[in-house]
Amino acid sequence: MAAQQDNHQENSSSSASDNTTHFGYQTVDKNDKESKVASVFHSVAAQYDVMNDLMSFGIHRLWKRFTIDASGVRPGNKVLDLAGGTGDLTAKFSQLVGREGKVILADINSSMLNVGRDKLRDKGLVQNIEYVQANAQYLPFEDNTFDIVTIAFGLRNVTDKDMALRSIYRVLKPGGRLLVLEFSKPEHELISKAYDFYSFNILPKMGELVAKDGDSYQYLAESIRMHPDQETLKEMMDSAGFEQTSFKNLTGGVVALHKGYKF
Amino acid sequence: MFQQTLCSTVEFAFNQALALNIKGAGVLQVLEQKTLTVLLTELGFPLSFSIDGNKVLVTSLTERSDCTINTSIKTLRELKKEQQITELIKQEKLDVQGDIKVAQQFANIAQSLEIDWQSELAQHIGDIPTYKLSQLGKSWAKKINFATQQIQADASEWLVHEKRLVVTASQLGSFSEQVTEITKQTNTVAERIQRLAEKITLLT
Repeated sequence: MAAQQDNHQENSSSSASDNTTHFGYQTVDKNDKESKVASVFHSVAAQYDVMNDLMSFGIHRLWKRFTIDASGVRPGNKVLDLAGGTGDLTAKFSQLVGREGKVILADINSSMLNVGRDKLRDKGLVQNIEYVQANAQYLPFEDNTFDIVTIAFGLRNVTDKDMALRSIYRVLKPGGRLLVLEFSKPEHELISKAYDFYSFNILPKMGELVAKDGDSYQYLAESIRMHPDQETLKEMMDSAGFEQTSFKNLTGGVVALHKGYKF
Repeated sequence: MFQQTLCSTVEFAFNQALALNIKGAGVLQVLEQKTLTVLLTELGFPLSFSIDGNKVLVTSLTERSDCTINTSIKTLRELKKEQQITELIKQEKLDVQGDIKVAQQFANIAQSLEIDWQSELAQHIGDIPTYKLSQLGKSWAKKINFATQQIQADASEWLVHEKRLVVTASQLGSFSEQVTEITKQTNTVAERIQRLAEKITLLT
């Protein structure tokens, strides 16, 4: 795991000089990462929700509830659920912003977006939701558009995280806030060891058994380790222009919720 | 994340109860897009109940509340009596901000929930097992009721007559009457003493 810290540093600079980035533990060309991540999510999209429940023992629902509670969403707000996948956050936001508000479910992956759209429509949530296939680095929205932007378990898959954070900052209204829910670094050594064992030994087998795709879940475990830790991500948000940035560790730091404002 | 677990559980329970309600989930229409926030001193965080369509959403958001109630679980029980509300506000046990009608409508809906458990159970295990189970339930309820009454009667018999640890209601009533009588008599004596003392003062 010593390499993990180095990788955090490498990530924060986005390997701008050599045009390479990481894909799990592999070093790949920046132009290749997007397609590699896309193939992972095309493969797991259909079983995504089931696997989320299995892998996290259902706790991901509480992490998402925590994000909603921390968002301060009001009726009439315009919310962007970036890398929204199968729409768990969108569903809740849609009910909370009411008829006057709007929620945009955006994801770079068409398979995930399709699964999300079908799921939300089956729930009868149609009135105030729009679907956009978008890359977080190049958000196709006007400046100062959204009151809230969330990105849950998506930032670690983005090729250039700094660029994505700047793009999010641009589309937020002054007074708007970004909430990043993402796997992070466990606070205690004991949790960290148990978590490593679970991620590298049990998780890929679970993926093989349920989603018939152990490799994608191996990538998930690796990509979590390569993701910036709490403090590094906070610094990245500060650098992108966000103010009053803070984070809250959940489940002993396995997941962290980062929050930052645009003023 | 106790807060989120509680919200999730309460939301699930509410929506299940609404789904099973005989009158249907349409009872929520009057409260469409309304939010009631309850701040219980014991919890230390808010519980906001928002209505969206036929569903209740439970969050800890306070940004969209139409009515906010600040109270304790103990006081919440007393709120069943409507005439108590003013008194509780005066005693500072209850603080209501916003449209109180929203709170009253929420309370009315919660009280009007009616679930036909037998029909629901029959859908899962069949009519005859449901009938048998309900008969068994009734018979157990009768037995438990009888046993409770019997235990109460035996316990009072033992305490009052065998061990003489407590007194009966009639004995207590009789004692109270005697105390009242003695109080009257002592008052009369005290008045007489007072009058005699005044006479003595005049003579001297």
